[in-house]
Amino acid sequence: MNILCFNKRLIAVMKLHFADYLIISLYFIFVITVGFIIKKKIRSSNDFLTSSRNIPLWITSLAFISANLGAQEVLGMVASGAKYGIMTVHFYWVGAIFAMVFLAIFMMPFYYGSKARSVPEYLSMRFDEKTRALNAVSFAVMTVFSSGISLFALAKLLEIILHWDFDVSIWLAAGIVMIYTFLGGLTSAVYNEVLQFFLIVLGLSPLVVIALHDAGGWANIQANLEPQLTHAWKYMGSADTNPMGINFMSLIFGLGFVMSFGYWCTDFLVVQRAMIARNMGEAQRTPVMAAIPKMLMPLIVVLPGVVAIALMQPALQSKGFSIPKTADGGLDYTMTLPSLIAHYYPSGILGVGITALIASFMSGMAGNVTAFNSVFTYDIYQSYFVRNRSDKHYLLVGKCITVAGILISIATAYVAKSFNNINDLLQLVFSFVNGPLFATFLLGMFWKRTTGHGAFCGLLAGTIAAALTHGLTIAEGKGGWIAPLFEIKSGMGQAFIVASVSWIANFVVTIMVSLVTKPKPPEELKGLVYSLTAKPEYHEQKWYKRVVPLGIILLLITIILNLVFF
Amino acid sequence: MHKRYTSLSFIIGLFFLIVSVILLTGYFTSAVLSVNINLYAGIAFLFFGVFMITRRNDDGH
Repeated sequence: MNILCFNKRLIAVMKLHFADYLIISLYFIFVITVGFIIKKKIRSSNDFLTSSRNIPLWITSLAFISANLGAQEVLGMVASGAKYGIMTVHFYWVGAIFAMVFLAIFMMPFYYGSKARSVPEYLSMRFDEKTRALNAVSFAVMTVFSSGISLFALAKLLEIILHWDFDVSIWLAAGIVMIYTFLGGLTSAVYNEVLQFFLIVLGLSPLVVIALHDAGGWANIQANLEPQLTHAWKYMGSADTNPMGINFMSLIFGLGFVMSFGYWCTDFLVVQRAMIARNMGEAQRTPVMAAIPKMLMPLIVVLPGVVAIALMQPALQSKGFSIPKTADGGLDYTMTLPSLIAHYYPSGILGVGITALIASFMSGMAGNVTAFNSVFTYDIYQSYFVRNRSDKHYLLVGKCITVAGILISIATAYVAKSFNNINDLLQLVFSFVNGPLFATFLLGMFWKRTTGHGAFCGLLAGTIAAALTHGLTIAEGKGGWIAPLFEIKSGMGQAFIVASVSWIANFVVTIMVSLVTKPKPPEELKGLVYSLTAKPEYHEQKWYKRVVPLGIILLLITIILNLVFF
Repeated sequence: MHKRYTSLSFIIGLFFLIVSVILLTGYFTSAVLSVNINLYAGIAFLFFGVFMITRRNDDGH
């Protein structure tokens, strides 16, 4: 998650009326009600932590996409749209769809077919306990801290735009998330993610329509903006000719392969939503179905940013819209979406817009907490501390961990408030750990010679390589803490390079160590490695229920979209 | 019948139905809310709410 920096002084306060408060209250009541409804269906730890693999496709698909529809997606991508223009669509049409289709066709059969309850558990089956422990502990720490940062960002935003008390916002939002996740566990979180998805999409759609209309339509926006902001690929030939400061090779390898596949194919937070499907067919179709709204999401979260920056051009300044400025005089891009809402939404729909913002934060927080409690309970507590206890015991532990996760999130939010740099540090450490991860899964699933020692050493090497690369490169004043030997034009370019180097380091070290260590016998790898696993047979007669044709169609549409906005 | 009222589709539909009622009531009765966007959004939410309430129940549990 990118850091969301808010500038307190330079944004107008929104004034809510009774109808707005009514809609916000209604949302809170509904999400809690969902918790109470699901509570009656929770009888075992599997119900609480894995939804007993009984969730239908339409819910798993929307939850899959909604788990990624947190604050970074909504506020961050609108901000990127304003800053980088239409190039931001690369995060969707390069950095998501291909990886989601790959996950569906090639990786879900292993995650789902192995009957692992979590991604770290798959690692223990495929490799060994130390690889699982490394992944489980780093993931648990990352999710709970991410949850806290999300909570901090929500409270900070509400403090700025509504003048709500920071402490009240923290405890209210955390309290509501705690109630419904404590009562209904993963199912409750997933159900609310679907509600949050519709709320975000339907709550922000009118804003896009009004703002686009006010700006005179897409043709007028193109006429008023520099061409670099309205073309996705045309200016990617050199890092010097586009606002992102990266060339197409860095983009395709760094974002399109390493970061994208690393996130969508290995992050348990999203993969968990597909793992709770009712059967293998639906588990495979979950990412593919989720890719459809994901493909269209730029309309909701990128286009408003591009419209916002167009509205600030001289020809459209009469519209009276502006993005607030930071203390140093630059534009505070993070406030682009709140500024659009404040400018275009009257009371009534304003309540819906604010609720959509709150929902995006709560969705992200609940997703992190439910992933955290599954991994902690199954992969840390049950695996290394207390084994062979009754299911009732693990259900109780899962519930206690949910509360503990929320409390740690609250503490993290207060630490983030006091020490703003802690956010940067945490995000940096997260990127070091996440960057190399996909190489481990790729080799583990498709090369049976990969060993546990190789995977473990590769992960460590990748993380160290990421830290070293960051320490030796500097971009926009960040990095270079060892020695600023190499200067990179943009922070985003630096992130792509760090991820790429860490992935390559992991890939090479895993292969080298695997070649000199003893692999598992083939009989232990059935169902875990591609060459030793029976390929799924698609008995469904209808083509639209088969994952391969669906995936191919999605990829073709994605390529066409890239060409349309070339 | 109870199962239907506790299905996710019904809950989502009911939420948007109530929001649409708030927006439409506000549009016709309150000067502050009497802006076209509330009317259009209210009608859209109303249709979506009814659609979700009337769709086939499939929640798994």
